[in-house]
Amino acid sequence: MAVTTPAPPTPAPSRPTARRDTGPRGLRQRLARWDVTFSPYLYIAPFFLVFAVAGLFPIVYTAYVSVHDWHLIGGQGGFVGLQNYVDVLTQPRFLTALRNTFSIFLLSSVPQLIVAIVVAAVLDANLRAKTFWRMGVLLPYVVAPVAVALIFSKMFADQSGLINTVLAGVGLDPIGWHSDPLASHVAIATMVNFRWTGYNTLILLAAMQAVPRDLYEAAVIDGAGRLRQFLSVTVPMLRPTLIFVVITSTIGGLQIFDEPRMFDTLGQGGADRQWMTVTMYLYELGWGAQKSFGRASAVAWILFLIIVAIGLLNFALTRKIASAGAATKGGAK
Amino acid sequence: MRITRLTAGAAGLAGLSLVLAACGGTEADGDAAAGGGGSTEEAGDITLTVATFNEFGYEELLDEYMAENPGITVEHKKAATSNEARDNMNTRLAAGSGLADVEAIEVDWLPELMQYPDQFVDLADPELEGRWLDWKVEQATTADGKLIGYGTDIGPEAVAYRSDLFAEAGLPTDREEVAELLEGDWETYFEVGRQFAESSDVPWFDSAQATYQGMVNQLPNAYEETDGTAKDLAENSDVKALYDQVLTAAVDDGLSAGLEQWGEDWTNAFQNDGFATMLAPGWMLGVIEGNAAGVEGWDIADVFPGGGGNWGGSFLTVPAQGEHPEEAKALAAWLTAPEQQVKAFISKGTFPSQVEALESEELLGQTNAFFNDAPTGEILANRAEAVSVTPFKGPNYFAIHLAVSDAIVRVDANGTDDAATSWEKALTAFDELGL
Amino acid sequence: MSAPSIAVIRQTAGPGAARAAARRRGGVNRRPGWVTYTLLTVVLLVSVYPIYYAILLASSDAATIAQNPVPSLVPEGNLLENLRRVVDSDIQFWRALGNSLIVSTATAFSVVVFSTLAGYSFAKLRFRGRGPLLVFVIATMAVPTQLGIVPLFIVMSELGWVGQLQAVIVPGMVTAFGVFWMTQYLSEALPYELVEAARVDGCSMIRTFWHVAMPAARPAAAMLALFTFVGSWTNFFWPFIVLGSTNPTLTVAVQLLQASYFKDYSLIMAGVVAATLPLVVVFALAGRHLVTGIMQGAVKG
Repeated sequence: MAVTTPAPPTPAPSRPTARRDTGPRGLRQRLARWDVTFSPYLYIAPFFLVFAVAGLFPIVYTAYVSVHDWHLIGGQGGFVGLQNYVDVLTQPRFLTALRNTFSIFLLSSVPQLIVAIVVAAVLDANLRAKTFWRMGVLLPYVVAPVAVALIFSKMFADQSGLINTVLAGVGLDPIGWHSDPLASHVAIATMVNFRWTGYNTLILLAAMQAVPRDLYEAAVIDGAGRLRQFLSVTVPMLRPTLIFVVITSTIGGLQIFDEPRMFDTLGQGGADRQWMTVTMYLYELGWGAQKSFGRASAVAWILFLIIVAIGLLNFALTRKIASAGAATKGGAK
Repeated sequence: MRITRLTAGAAGLAGLSLVLAACGGTEADGDAAAGGGGSTEEAGDITLTVATFNEFGYEELLDEYMAENPGITVEHKKAATSNEARDNMNTRLAAGSGLADVEAIEVDWLPELMQYPDQFVDLADPELEGRWLDWKVEQATTADGKLIGYGTDIGPEAVAYRSDLFAEAGLPTDREEVAELLEGDWETYFEVGRQFAESSDVPWFDSAQATYQGMVNQLPNAYEETDGTAKDLAENSDVKALYDQVLTAAVDDGLSAGLEQWGEDWTNAFQNDGFATMLAPGWMLGVIEGNAAGVEGWDIADVFPGGGGNWGGSFLTVPAQGEHPEEAKALAAWLTAPEQQVKAFISKGTFPSQVEALESEELLGQTNAFFNDAPTGEILANRAEAVSVTPFKGPNYFAIHLAVSDAIVRVDANGTDDAATSWEKALTAFDELGL
Repeated sequence: MSAPSIAVIRQTAGPGAARAAARRRGGVNRRPGWVTYTLLTVVLLVSVYPIYYAILLASSDAATIAQNPVPSLVPEGNLLENLRRVVDSDIQFWRALGNSLIVSTATAFSVVVFSTLAGYSFAKLRFRGRGPLLVFVIATMAVPTQLGIVPLFIVMSELGWVGQLQAVIVPGMVTAFGVFWMTQYLSEALPYELVEAARVDGCSMIRTFWHVAMPAARPAAAMLALFTFVGSWTNFFWPFIVLGSTNPTLTVAVQLLQASYFKDYSLIMAGVVAATLPLVVVFALAGRHLVTGIMQGAVKG
């Protein structure tokens, strides 16, 4: 991605006389070489150190637990191989959870990304009162998920909620937000979209602002309209950020837990488990009636593999879309 | 050790005071952390933590205990709901540390912990024999006679009703007449409901699931044999009969408001004439009073369909991981003494499980202005004495009960299934448990 | 994927002519019309109404809320009274507020520093194992957090940190998210030429980082700081498990308002408002910097 930019001013002070021959030359060079070799590792070290304790240990531990008969409180039982995985994969409830998770994921991430990219493009224009609009869009992000769930559960109450009352007011039938599977998914996706759309908008906006304006001017000179500019300049230039947004929302979306858990007071995903997600299922297995930490760990690993698979798929797709945009841009020249 | 130093060093980078790490023992002392680690424990001084949830009415009692026992500091840790307390407790049991010295446990999730008696200190004490109602002690006693928890409160059930709606429908309103009217089995309760429905549009009760809970708590062995083995749900004719009975009344006869207890709609219904009666354990009175603030007409009758019934109640346990089991046990014993539980009842309405407390003048004299000055102390004491069956709740009670009550909610509240298909789903859910 | 014909146009017609032409044809700096503002207003209303709804409920009382599913558009008079009830209740409001400030500030600061270092390294430096290590970082985000709770709790209790703030701060000091974010941003925003120029000028690695990477990273760092601050502030489950109610963060404390017998929505929503308000203040103060930060990012292009 070598972008030809007009030569930027070098922020670092220029030192034309860097190669002064003071001190033992061999040592300097060796130090410099060590600097180059080891600095990168030094910079990433803090992450891996904290991660070893807070991240890696839990992962390894989970993998170990998942191949054992393991009660949450009773502790380790015998080695059972992949039995926990088999148990989970053959339970109809796991499939229900998988269906719900994907449904909520699609209902939240797809509209969210489309809206975010459109709003970001709008905010990228030469607006009056920029700060006001930007901050207004990001405002929902400061509301804690727990609070979002409280607010929206109240609005989505079946008989006494704001939304069904308004629907009844305009002569429509009330919607069974807690009884109909799809409706409950829409309600939960709404909470997610409320909190995260502005956030993704701002991330994309930051990336858009970093696109050199000359590229747009060039595109205009080539006769590109606004849509064309957007598709041929903005989207390809956003590629790293788009990949970031798509991957993080895939991961977050497939792990969704807080919002569906707090959608009713029992937190089990409904009487028919119509909005129980995979992480809720994991939690029910581990902390609920069965207390099977082994099976819960197996679900965690299955979910992990699913996320990695979907993440890779998304990565490939995003790359392709962005490259396709770049190709058309090349063609438009 | 290496990791400790490295992460600690990293913490220093972030500008953290590391005094904290040095002064942390297993009893995490929050005050010391905030004050910069100033408080050093003198010999003999100990800090006990008590973990509760919802309202136990212990705030003033703990101050009293500290005043009476110099050298003992008690910290009160609260969780908002029983569910949160349970998550917290399970995580700490699994990790093997971090529990409070005294942990409150609700009777619903006691059975699953009873399987691990080694995690708890045996609280059996000859001096305390006869302090509690027999069935309360039985709930917390393992097969080999170990006492896991001291009883705090119980939930003897009565029937709360709206006398104003009763009057409009031509039913008697006086609480003694209502008690007489409802005296009998569940069929009587539903039959009066049908009479009521003839002249009122208001549903008779709030929720089929809550009503079923009252019914199933009268079966000695609802889902499991006394040795703990689960009954096959498909063959369980007792439960199936209750299931059919409650859903016929709720849906076919239209007696239920179809609400899910604790949900937004249920909370709102108190302000909007949502239903005329509900099963009310002692602790529910506070819930009704709060939710129905400003609504006049609520009263409570000294009666319960099918005899007596108990819903809920808690225990204080002493986890074995604590450092001061003796002191913790003494504190738990003090808190669950009749005098203290009567005070808790007066302050927060948690009805005591102690025999002596049930005869206390203070308790029996208690009236409740919101419920038309009903003598709630006396009524609940009578209801506690009427409890004749101790339902057996083994390790799988919670899971099987959930399968059945989910089935009821699907029919009664969601309206997504009819009774027959919903029962089939309950059977599938039961099979998934692999019992 | 280099910039297309700008060079050609510059050569043939000169840069001034190119820019003028661009503007004439309705180009980059045109002020947007009413459609844009209408769209933004709709977006803004949808973003703000649920928060306003919480304020409406917080300024009412329980019975009124139950009787009126649709709150009136104007707040009633009980907001301050309800907020006072939140502060005066036994949830240790001020201590929780202080804890939240400490936790959020500490994590925001350290996440920014460490993520920028790591992100710079991944994006612009060449070292053995770079690709696999980055993939590894991203993959760690895919592990469901619920399951990490028991092992993480074991670690914290081994360290003796249960109930203390560092049990929340230390695991949050570096995030895979932050590293990934900085990597992606710097790979786009920091040209290799700059890094190489600095190196040729004889800057050491750390000087190059400080003088070249840090300025380029500033907009992304501002956003990452805000995101981390908000993330720590709004986190519930882990602080609830490891801290509990004796030394809570604000989100954990406010949750305790539901511990009473019945759900007083005016009180609960006042708690929501009380927990969110400090963030809105931080946000309003930092927001300007955030937006200027983004603008600085634009200048460098």
